[in-house]
Amino acid sequence: MKLRKPFKTVVLVLIWGWILLFVLAPNLLVVMTSFLTRDDAHFIRWQATLENYLRLFDPDYLAVFGHSFYMALVTTLLCLLVGYPFAYLLSRLRAGVKPYLLFLVIVPFWTNSLVRTYAMKLLIATNGLVNQTLLGLGWIDTPLRLLYTETAVIVGLFYVLLPFMILPLYAIFEQLRPELLEASGDLGAGTWQTFRRVVLPLTMPGIIAGCLLVLLPAVGMFYVGDVLGGAKNLLIGNVIKNQFLDARDWPFGAAISLLLTLAMAMLLYAYYLSVRLIRRPHAHAELA
Amino acid sequence: MTRLKTSLWAVCLFLGTAVSAEEKLLYLYNWSEYMPEQVLEQFEKETGIRVVYSTYDSNEAMYAKLRLLDKKNSYDLVVPSTYYVSKMRREGLLAKIDKSRLKNFANLDAKLLNQPFDPDNSYSVPYLWGSTGIAVNTDKVEAGTVSKWRDLWNPAFKDRLLLTNDMREVFHMGLRVLGYSGNDTDPAHIEAAYHELKKLVPNVRAYNSEAPRMPYLEGETDAGMIWNGEAYMAKDENPAIDYVYPEEGVILWLDSLIIPTTARNVDHAYQFIDFILRPEIGALISEEIGYASPNRAAVDTLDEAVRNNRTVYPTAEDLENSEFQIDVGEAITVYEKFWERLKTAGD
Amino acid sequence: MPMLNWLKHAYLWFVYLLLYLPIGVLVFYSFNASKNPYRWGGFSWHWYERLWQNSSLLEAAMNSLLLAVSAATLSTLIGPLTAVALHRYRFRGKRFLNSMLFVVMMSPDIVLAISLLALFILIGVQLGYVSLLLAHVTFCLPFVVVTVYARLSGFNPQILEAARDLGAGDLRALVTVVLPIIFPAVLAGWLLGFTLSLDDVVVSMFVTGPTFEILPLRIYSMVRLGIKPEVNALATVLLLLSLATLIGSQFILTRKGERKT
Repeated sequence: MKLRKPFKTVVLVLIWGWILLFVLAPNLLVVMTSFLTRDDAHFIRWQATLENYLRLFDPDYLAVFGHSFYMALVTTLLCLLVGYPFAYLLSRLRAGVKPYLLFLVIVPFWTNSLVRTYAMKLLIATNGLVNQTLLGLGWIDTPLRLLYTETAVIVGLFYVLLPFMILPLYAIFEQLRPELLEASGDLGAGTWQTFRRVVLPLTMPGIIAGCLLVLLPAVGMFYVGDVLGGAKNLLIGNVIKNQFLDARDWPFGAAISLLLTLAMAMLLYAYYLSVRLIRRPHAHAELA
Repeated sequence: MTRLKTSLWAVCLFLGTAVSAEEKLLYLYNWSEYMPEQVLEQFEKETGIRVVYSTYDSNEAMYAKLRLLDKKNSYDLVVPSTYYVSKMRREGLLAKIDKSRLKNFANLDAKLLNQPFDPDNSYSVPYLWGSTGIAVNTDKVEAGTVSKWRDLWNPAFKDRLLLTNDMREVFHMGLRVLGYSGNDTDPAHIEAAYHELKKLVPNVRAYNSEAPRMPYLEGETDAGMIWNGEAYMAKDENPAIDYVYPEEGVILWLDSLIIPTTARNVDHAYQFIDFILRPEIGALISEEIGYASPNRAAVDTLDEAVRNNRTVYPTAEDLENSEFQIDVGEAITVYEKFWERLKTAGD
Repeated sequence: MPMLNWLKHAYLWFVYLLLYLPIGVLVFYSFNASKNPYRWGGFSWHWYERLWQNSSLLEAAMNSLLLAVSAATLSTLIGPLTAVALHRYRFRGKRFLNSMLFVVMMSPDIVLAISLLALFILIGVQLGYVSLLLAHVTFCLPFVVVTVYARLSGFNPQILEAARDLGAGDLRALVTVVLPIIFPAVLAGWLLGFTLSLDDVVVSMFVTGPTFEILPLRIYSMVRLGIKPEVNALATVLLLLSLATLIGSQFILTRKGERKT
């Protein structure tokens, strides 16, 4: 009985301290910085302005943001199309094999995503493996220009982020009891119907979690844009990085970053809504 | 037992990286591909000072990084271009150079000393000078068809060009093409250059200042901007890659060694600078990476082939219409604004 | 139906191929004697020798490993405590704490990176090992908390009550009763933290300094430069190391399981 209070206090102080210092404070700093002015030598000047936000609506920047989101969306879609069946099949395997196969999905992470992006470059460069194979097989005459294109960035993002789609989907499929599928079949539903009305709604939280875990990093992974994208396929992350490490325009970088966070918040709210919908079977029946 | 062994091994791993606290170190921050490994190794062998080497690909990135690091954490030697030496000098970021500690200083070519960007070389020691011109892969582009900056605007080059990731150099090209000086400070001229460069953007495949020769060697780009040293190294691997001095004038620059005021190993920095100023080291650097040495004594001992190589040491004819990069003062913010817009307008 | 079975297996293999092809290419070319990676010049250990001699690359790799180990360990010290607190205790602002953790988990790396950089500059934390460690723990923490919390949710609180009835204080109950039960989750959390830290590029590039060179920064210019076969060799070594660690941890888990029965 004696140890209870101090222990609890210590733990709470530690946790609150960490969260306040390293999560709340930095984000507040970013918000604050976005309303200040740029200073050449010291990064920020204490002069409030809305100019950074106005700059966001410059057509050049809007075009970049749009293109970046587009690439991220395509990446997410690709990851979903490839990852969904994979996660399902993985979850239906023998219990003894599953952990190892799951590990095999995670192992590539330990070679660092920059290395993996570079490996992708080895494949798609003009002198790379893909071109060499295709030329060798005689399917093409001149090498394909794969590197420094939008496709290269999307493929690079897809490759690095696929495991992030697989893992939450796998988790949700693990919870999907096969008896439900059987029951649906017994009640006369065909495979497609079972999928559409049973599997899809039940796995929706996993789908959305996976999509969020892919979409949000995808717009920020500037190194993929740098290594594979060349001059023209900037990601929002590239723009932000330039502001902080090259152009030294921290307020503008902060404003872009806030825009990104807002977009994230909206997506998360959509996630929250969808999860609530799933949890309320009555509401769902009403919708159907 | 095995658990004890593993924990011991883990402890050793931790300690191993902490041991380096005793070593003699020198934190050198330099352009990438701008220092042969051999030089660093030889320096360490002779003096026992280990060089911790980091690189940057643009003056802007270097400057941003230096601004981020404080007294306890900074670099000892950095190699900015002329206009950044003046900028940093004005802002009080540079430590004064005590020339009495550099016995080899006299080796330097007097023509390159005492320049406006650093009168009397109080703050900087010239390291290498060079030019930024045009690279042409003669396997893909007919030799002789590209002799001016203007030729790069040819729509036939769509998606085939490389530009260095350097704000001043790209705008220098844009300004020259319009007949202005590459060191122009008039905002109207700079904006005009921006609009002209925007027309070039569809031709640009990539920006690269890490190692501009690589996209040429890999076949990703066929023509564009390049530094002369990179062209020199490229020709070594692929003789088809030519370096062309553009008619409107090649861009000349000089990079110098400076010691930031926040440097921690100032002694080691002086030892390194003196080491670099030796004729044989200066010659080695020039021969390895193809840039021109400001060290007169070094140039005298150079390999004939390198001394007569026009890519490394241009003739007077090559240098017609050329301009050295100089400080543009306040106008730099105008350049920065338009450079940012140019790079974002990529799509 | 065997056709369908075959199709299923083929699909699994296909996706694994997708995941491992680029890495496989790396491993393959790490043994390539020719410098030009696109031409096979025969089997050779040459690049591994060069890697061994490249002290700066090795040091960067060691630093990254050190960082990953310390970040994972620190997260698994704070994480389970947080999970237990969230699970056991009632306190004000619990939902706020939850959402903060969620925010970190979902934040794009770049937002995390710049916000932490701004903080470190403001409060004067030296950019190097310390700043990196703090940053890495911050983004590993939520994942560890979630993993342990999930395990705690499925855990019968009556066992804890029983321990308390028998006279154990909070700390004692935690160590002797709760910890063994959540151990697999803690280990999983550690592995997750280790993975996230090793894989990180964005945050590391922002909050690092010259005194603590880590792998992503060192190879960033190398991979943009073009092909550097030493990087291939390094990637292969890292891959083998990770496989060994995973097999090892799996071994530990099964041994523990066996001991229980």
